[in-house]
Amino acid sequence: MGEQKIMSNVLLKIENLCAKVAGKEIIKNFNLTINEGEVHAIMGPNGAGKSTLSYVLTGKPGYEVTSGNILFKGRDLLKMPVEERAREGLFLIMQYPVEIPGVPVTSFLKHALNAKRQYNGEPELDTMEFIKLLKEVAKESGIDFEMLKRPVNVGFSGGEKKRLEALQMTILKPSLAILDEADSGLDIDAIKVVSKGVNDLMNEHRALLIITHYQKLLTYIKPDFVHVFADGHIVKSGNSSLSEEIEQNGYAAYTKEQ
Amino acid sequence: MSELLSDTALFGADIPWLEGLRSRAKEAFFLPNVKFEPWKYTKLSSLKRDDFVYSPSKFLEELEGCPDDDCDCDCDCGCGCEHHHEHDGCGCNGHCQCSHKPELYLDLPFDAYQIHFYNGKFMPLYPALPAGIEVMTLMQAVIEGEAKNYVGKYIDLAQYPFAALNTAMLEEGLFVKIDADVSLQKPLMFIYHTQTEESLVSNIRNVFVIGKKSSLEIVEYYYGNDGGCYFNNTVNEFYLAFQSNIKHYTFQNEGNNAVHIALNYANVRENAFYKSFCLQRGANLGRNETKVDLLQEKAKAQVDAAYIANVQTTLDTTTDIAHLSPKTSSDQLVKGVASGQGKGVFQGKISISKDAQETEGHQLHRALLLSDTAEIDVKPELEIYADNVKCSHGAACGELDQNQLFYMRSRGIGEEEAKQILIDAYLLEAINRIDNEQIKEWIAANV
Repeated sequence: MGEQKIMSNVLLKIENLCAKVAGKEIIKNFNLTINEGEVHAIMGPNGAGKSTLSYVLTGKPGYEVTSGNILFKGRDLLKMPVEERAREGLFLIMQYPVEIPGVPVTSFLKHALNAKRQYNGEPELDTMEFIKLLKEVAKESGIDFEMLKRPVNVGFSGGEKKRLEALQMTILKPSLAILDEADSGLDIDAIKVVSKGVNDLMNEHRALLIITHYQKLLTYIKPDFVHVFADGHIVKSGNSSLSEEIEQNGYAAYTKEQ
Repeated sequence: MSELLSDTALFGADIPWLEGLRSRAKEAFFLPNVKFEPWKYTKLSSLKRDDFVYSPSKFLEELEGCPDDDCDCDCDCGCGCEHHHEHDGCGCNGHCQCSHKPELYLDLPFDAYQIHFYNGKFMPLYPALPAGIEVMTLMQAVIEGEAKNYVGKYIDLAQYPFAALNTAMLEEGLFVKIDADVSLQKPLMFIYHTQTEESLVSNIRNVFVIGKKSSLEIVEYYYGNDGGCYFNNTVNEFYLAFQSNIKHYTFQNEGNNAVHIALNYANVRENAFYKSFCLQRGANLGRNETKVDLLQEKAKAQVDAAYIANVQTTLDTTTDIAHLSPKTSSDQLVKGVASGQGKGVFQGKISISKDAQETEGHQLHRALLLSDTAEIDVKPELEIYADNVKCSHGAACGELDQNQLFYMRSRGIGEEEAKQILIDAYLLEAINRIDNEQIKEWIAANV
């Protein structure tokens, strides 16, 4: 690609991305640009590989990029280790948040926030300062602080897990949040919580990428752009009316085109 | 320079029962190889040498004389204090009441009655203990006739070659006796300091006799320098009377060339409870072995452990819980981590005799293997002769969970930091079973 001038408001630029999982090519020639302040939704049938995209972006081991480029804030995302991507401002709201026995949410989040602060040249928060911040955020998010003393996600209900994801996002204030709800049976209460978190976070400098199977999610978070994902890339882009059309007609038209 | 079994003259050679015990033990001692089942996984090649040093016995001489010339007492605590206690003619044999702390005193995050051993020798400075507890040297207990009823009475020397060595060289160690209905406010802490460049051998033997309905917390802390190939071979015997309880915490942090072998024998009577936790992270070879006899109804044991075997360390946790009466119960949780060329060994046996109906025995060992060259060997054994029992055992070895690691990194936590957090959390599951919060924190801060 050589030297490329990136406009200051471009947050993420994916070009001709191809990626494999377990030897199988899932992402094929994928292109997408997300500017600051934009909400994008990627929709597609089950099993199309939508989640693969979110894992490629966050750098999960086992997801191999075979060609293409991803620029995040003008930097080569693929050269950054997982933690650096997070510290730069990428945050994945996971479909299935992982349980970590023995690690209380409080200490987990303190490590995460201080790692990011250190990366940004900000002083680390001590325990007192951190707990004060966490209590404020928990109160705003309607989370019982006692829940945060428990090990990360262990014994949490589906709704509690999503609440915790939203809380982490609020604390870490990412530039680009990715909401992956690719194939889960949608828990409406949980989605409301996450949607509120996401909507509260959004401003003109941040952006959001929603990956979903259901149009319903998009009634809570209004996308500026809707993309249909099939056979490893975007087959059609449009505005929010595209998601309504899919709700009516399904994905058949797009999968047949392959 | 000598072999492990030394001809050093020992105190009390003229006491027939003691000399008889020592000579039987001498006969029983051998250096086990892998063909001897209890030592199948733990190789003792580092003990196949003949450069061992026994510091000469100065048992009596050491107790003579006081740094204060005007004092008539028999105290030599080594604290350098000019103002010793009122001991004139009391024959206390070194019981020092002075408030000065010896040089060896350790500042720890918890208050304890500290007792110090230096290079395998008891430093005769006794903490000021409350009424109802008596601490004396084992040889003093021999003189007073107390030791004879306990020392070595229940340990099968044919099964425990290093207890045999310890018994053959029996001299150093303490005898702790607690009356009925006594509870100490602070733990009794045994600190074993070793600073040597030599292959110093120490055979320390401690005996704890706990009266009815009494309770005691014991902390053992072993540490040493990294140079010397020293060998600490400790045997502890615990006698728990009706409804008494002992909480026994050990932190093995020996120097990295050391060999550390300890046998903890617990003799548990009706309704009594022996609870232990041992963290091993030091030594080149470390073995913490626990044998519990649940002798009477409702006797109970909980034997937990954690180990961190890195570089080339072998750390062995071996347990043998014998349920000998009805309604007895035992529970064990052992969690370990092996990295580098480290090796972890867990051998856990639960045996339930035919009279021990309505007994419960549970055991779980889980370990993390952090490198391709690390090794974990596990041998759980259940031997059940009663028909109305609840027993379980489990053993699992695995790697760090990659999904957990990814989740943490995706929140900005660095890879090494995330691994350390996961390892700590893994071991904490066992450490969290320590009741004393301050000791729990001290142990947790050392993983």
